[in-house]
Amino acid sequence: MARVRLARLFATGVVGALSVAPSLAEGGDVIVPAGRYTPFERVRAVAGGPPVTVSISVPAFRLDVAPVTNGAFLAFVSVHPEWRRSRVKALFAERGYLVRWTDDLTLADAPARGEPVTSVSWFAARAYCRALGKRLPSTQEWEYALADQGRAQDEVRRISLEWYARPNGLRPGPVGQKLANGFGLSDMVGLVWEWTLDFDSFAITAESRDPNGKDSAQFCGGAGAGVSDATDYPAFMRYSLRASLKANYVADSVGFRCAGEP
Amino acid sequence: MARFSWGLLAALALAAPSLARAHDHAHMAPMGAATPLPGASLYNLEALWTDADGTSGPLASLRGTIAVAAMAYTTCPDMCPAIVADMFWIERRLPPELAGKVRFVFISIDSVKDTPERLKAYAADHGMDPQIWTLLHGDDDAVRETAAALGVRYRADGQGGFDHSAIITLLDPDGTIAFQQNGARASSAEFLEKLEALAARTP
Repeated sequence: MARVRLARLFATGVVGALSVAPSLAEGGDVIVPAGRYTPFERVRAVAGGPPVTVSISVPAFRLDVAPVTNGAFLAFVSVHPEWRRSRVKALFAERGYLVRWTDDLTLADAPARGEPVTSVSWFAARAYCRALGKRLPSTQEWEYALADQGRAQDEVRRISLEWYARPNGLRPGPVGQKLANGFGLSDMVGLVWEWTLDFDSFAITAESRDPNGKDSAQFCGGAGAGVSDATDYPAFMRYSLRASLKANYVADSVGFRCAGEP
Repeated sequence: MARFSWGLLAALALAAPSLARAHDHAHMAPMGAATPLPGASLYNLEALWTDADGTSGPLASLRGTIAVAAMAYTTCPDMCPAIVADMFWIERRLPPELAGKVRFVFISIDSVKDTPERLKAYAADHGMDPQIWTLLHGDDDAVRETAAALGVRYRADGQGGFDHSAIITLLDPDGTIAFQQNGARASSAEFLEKLEALAARTP
């Protein structure tokens, strides 16, 4: 199987992916080139008009090759004590923040160092990226990076479905074990869900404009603008998961990676 | 006690911290300004905002009075007028003893079009008394973090506006959320009840 994927990468001319591997442990990033892709969510081209499937253009950006690890996040909280477990403010992270750690500055064990950090809030993820002069990727950037210019999307869906079938609560396992995608990005699916800068942008339906406003944050319902590919179950899962989050939520299946300007 | 405008508060909080301490000592600063903020306080956010008079400060500049806050934008055709109408509804029904003790805060989602000048004109057009209303302009980061903290979901609608949730938030003098109204209503009676209850337990 690995040989097949390797062959595919060479065939598409993305040999650079291999040279990226050594930098995984150091939290390196790559430039994701500008391009077009078709977002999962349909949009209204004109106010009140019918929702349509459109391809949008995404400018080039930098993206970490792997999710941020516990080891990297430990280095961050070491110099930013306000983000330690015992000090973090409730506004920024609910109870359960970094729950897999033993205490403020101790990971569960040595292997944890190379696993994605989880149970981090959006605020904490954002602060980490900012401390490095980076930012969280937008949802469009993240999805564009996953879409990988159409390369190996069946594989992305297969890995996603296998991953969804794993029981909750298991440790994610180390980053960088699987071959990177065509952009040189590793573990976009399969280990953790990832925060995006505007994770909270995609749960707005016509409901929000109802002056009698019921508080229903639905996404999948037909009242929304709809989706471009109703068979893309993993995409439904990603968008629904993001829509269910709030910025101070922590979950042991949600981590993040940082983006930046090219 | 003197009522502080956003401008004076911001000056105290930012430009002249020593002055702020002097005022604390003289019991002229907003109540509780010397004590640490509660962990859940919205005023822990650090991004800077600029009011309609061009004065900048963090949201913590609002500390010291009860606030009724909502995120909206001035060119919004349908939902924001409903949100603002609800805020006016609340303002008009404040009991006399709360007059001047509650600040109404319009936090703009539109970091581009809603300049301080634009906000000033909007406030004037809508009869928002500057002694009671504060309108705030911030950059994208300020908008994003504040919306995140308030649970306001928004995004550009592709036509120069935004889709966003209609949430009006009641903040206690320390910036902790006391109540949120989801959706614009014909009546904000429940909000008003919560506000009066909050005022009753606020020294």
